[in-house]
Amino acid sequence: MTFMEALAAGFTLVAQWESIAFLALGVTIGVIAGAIPGMSATMAVALTLPFTFALQPIFGILLLLGVYKGGIFGGSIPAILIKTPGTPASSATALDGYPMAEQGRAGEALSMSLYASCIADLMSNLALILFAAWLASFALNFGPPEMFTLIVFSLTIIAGVSGDSLVKGIIAATLGLLLATIGLDFIGGTERFTFGSVDMRGGLNFVAVLIGLFALPEIIAYIRNPEAKEHRVRGMGYSRLKWPDFRRSLKSIFRGSAIGVFLGAIPGIGAAPSAFLSYSEARRASPNRENFGKGEIEGVAAAEAGNNGVAGATLIPLLSLGIPGDVITAIIIGAFMVHNLTPGPLLFVNNADIVYALFIGLIASSFLLLIVGAVAIRAFRYIADIPSDLLFPGVLVLCIFGVFAINNSIFDVAVMLVMGGVGYIMLLLRFPAAPFLIAFILGPMLENSFRQALLMSRGSLEIFVRGPITILFWCLTILSVVMIIRATVRAARLKREAARSATRVSATPKA
Amino acid sequence: MKKTLIALTLGTATAALAAPAFADYPTRPIQMLIPYGPGGATDLSARALSTALTPIVPQPVVVSNRAGAGGATGSVAVRDADPDGYTLLFARVGSHTVNPAMNPNLPYTIDEFRFVGIYEINPVACVVNSNSGITTIDELIAKVNDNPGTVLFSSAGVGTLPHFGALMVLDAYGVTDLADNVIHIPTEGDGQALTAVLQGTSDFYCGSTSPAAPFVQSGQMVPLLVTSSERVEGFDAPTVDELGKPELKALVGWTGIAGPAGMPDEVSDRWGEWMAEAVQDETFLNFMTSGGSVVELMSPEDSVTFVNDAYEVFRRLVVELDLEID
Repeated sequence: MTFMEALAAGFTLVAQWESIAFLALGVTIGVIAGAIPGMSATMAVALTLPFTFALQPIFGILLLLGVYKGGIFGGSIPAILIKTPGTPASSATALDGYPMAEQGRAGEALSMSLYASCIADLMSNLALILFAAWLASFALNFGPPEMFTLIVFSLTIIAGVSGDSLVKGIIAATLGLLLATIGLDFIGGTERFTFGSVDMRGGLNFVAVLIGLFALPEIIAYIRNPEAKEHRVRGMGYSRLKWPDFRRSLKSIFRGSAIGVFLGAIPGIGAAPSAFLSYSEARRASPNRENFGKGEIEGVAAAEAGNNGVAGATLIPLLSLGIPGDVITAIIIGAFMVHNLTPGPLLFVNNADIVYALFIGLIASSFLLLIVGAVAIRAFRYIADIPSDLLFPGVLVLCIFGVFAINNSIFDVAVMLVMGGVGYIMLLLRFPAAPFLIAFILGPMLENSFRQALLMSRGSLEIFVRGPITILFWCLTILSVVMIIRATVRAARLKREAARSATRVSATPKA
Repeated sequence: MKKTLIALTLGTATAALAAPAFADYPTRPIQMLIPYGPGGATDLSARALSTALTPIVPQPVVVSNRAGAGGATGSVAVRDADPDGYTLLFARVGSHTVNPAMNPNLPYTIDEFRFVGIYEINPVACVVNSNSGITTIDELIAKVNDNPGTVLFSSAGVGTLPHFGALMVLDAYGVTDLADNVIHIPTEGDGQALTAVLQGTSDFYCGSTSPAAPFVQSGQMVPLLVTSSERVEGFDAPTVDELGKPELKALVGWTGIAGPAGMPDEVSDRWGEWMAEAVQDETFLNFMTSGGSVVELMSPEDSVTFVNDAYEVFRRLVVELDLEID
């Protein structure tokens, strides 16, 4: 089959109304599941899988891909409206999305999130179609040492999300790293900080920690001081996204998409580091740097672009090498296998029509996401109008239910409540939550890749500079550390000068 | 007064529940825990079976994940549940043979469970990267012997089937001092372990055939042996019988259903009947075999013997070779 024939055959497969219908159904299921705290894109895809067995292969796979894409966008809805991100990846969206909702700009934040998602998704799909082979060979060169250097570089993000005090950010991050060591030691299988508890052996659940850290402190603060929120104008989720805002965010959207494509092509990283990396790069490049974390629309755009930019790219290792990049693509492999399709290099030879049909379907999914997402936003943004004294108790119930539902475990609920207390104390002491969370997510990856690499090299540290990729990330790390130090020193000098001129001013009248 | 009333009501309620014994089991929905996360091999297999069970079991079958600590969290939850047949576990080779054999600190033992049916067997295959130049198991063994302490193998984590599997195969081929002669690289699942082989991070992998199948079919990896008596479709590799190592046939993955140890015979018998019917389901069979698994239902009694035998074999080797996790 030549390329054109395969393309034509693929087009015929997709150009049936059922294809589009299943894709739209999938996106709808995904957006709804993603929007419910406690449900995740992974869970939704796993639950949809059995229904695809009876379908034609292309319908089944498109249905699953639709759920996947919809689920990733759906997570941003509760992150923005009630600061309850359902996945670590959408917690980056909450950083600026929730402050926007507090300012009565929920509609704007949601629209931006949707447009950024769709654009990043489209870019990611195009990257899959155009550069799959090249990115796949890049992924194959990405072993534990490369992963380690990437994570070290990613940890420099902490400086970007620390808010006022870098020291406080580093302390919060250290706590996050420490907390991530709870559970079974990955290499030796021994218990760490489990205190003999069976539940602790499994470590602390991601979602329980992040909901505890993000959503609960808001609720506790409201309970302690209900008046503080009532005077503020919330609600009115009807604000429209303005064109100049969108245009100035475009650069961040494209940058985030590119970051998402690269990180998505590497197996085992996932969307969260990509969302945070994109967010911190956007902050660094933006003239509105000061406003990030306080309701900057570009922050929402960057986080969502980084998050969704991963979705198409995770299919690169899947389709070209047969490697599942994350849990969701591992489930999608099941859908391929049940129809006797083997993901990997042979798929392009034996089932080129399916491959091209998938490509066309993916492009269509970006546009369907735009439509379904717009409807979902219209439906969900009324949440922003609910009065606080109804909303907050509702969110609390939703948080407890959602965290319980992940693993049917009361222990997870307890973890969430304890983390809520920790988060509230951090809020009072003005410690930022984002560095804590980033360190908690990256901690296990950092440790595992470090120890895997040392196992490979039998203890020699030389492995960490074994090739161009590791050296590139070391250079990037040094560069960003230097920039952080310079920025900190400059800020300190400005403060000193301001203080000095202030004393001069106060000294003048005396003389 | 109020307390007495509550106590009386509760007492009567318990008596009422206990009275009809298990003759009309089940009278309410049955909860089935998967001790691993969504999307894993156990999860997919469990969900496929529960879909097939739905029209057969007279009450709803509610499947949920209780992941963590290599299957220990979910396993303990079921062990501690009432042995009334309303809380069951999808047990797996990792959680109920390899890990108990290797890890003395595990918070449960296999005697604390009653198996009602093993329904899936996964033969184990050893695979290497096709660029490695290795095409037979003897060449791999020669490489290990010629370069002691440099050959790496990847697994889905400490105490998983691929961890034990590689060591068992090497031992069968006379490699000694396993702790010094080969290096184990744990990863976070079979997918990552195979990715490591594809990247060259790891030299070989000995685990279930299903996750390795796509790589073997596309020619990216070469299978060296399979631990079944008959050749596995799509795997152009000799069986352990052909290789003269029949003892390696004990090295297989499996999935089954178990409940707490004190579960009554009635429950076990009912499950034996339901499972016999469920494994005939065409969609289920198609899904399982497409992934390279062999659907092989064992009666409740056979399941218990099978798990105990496998555990004994593994445990003996662990003690002999000093493979305990400490």
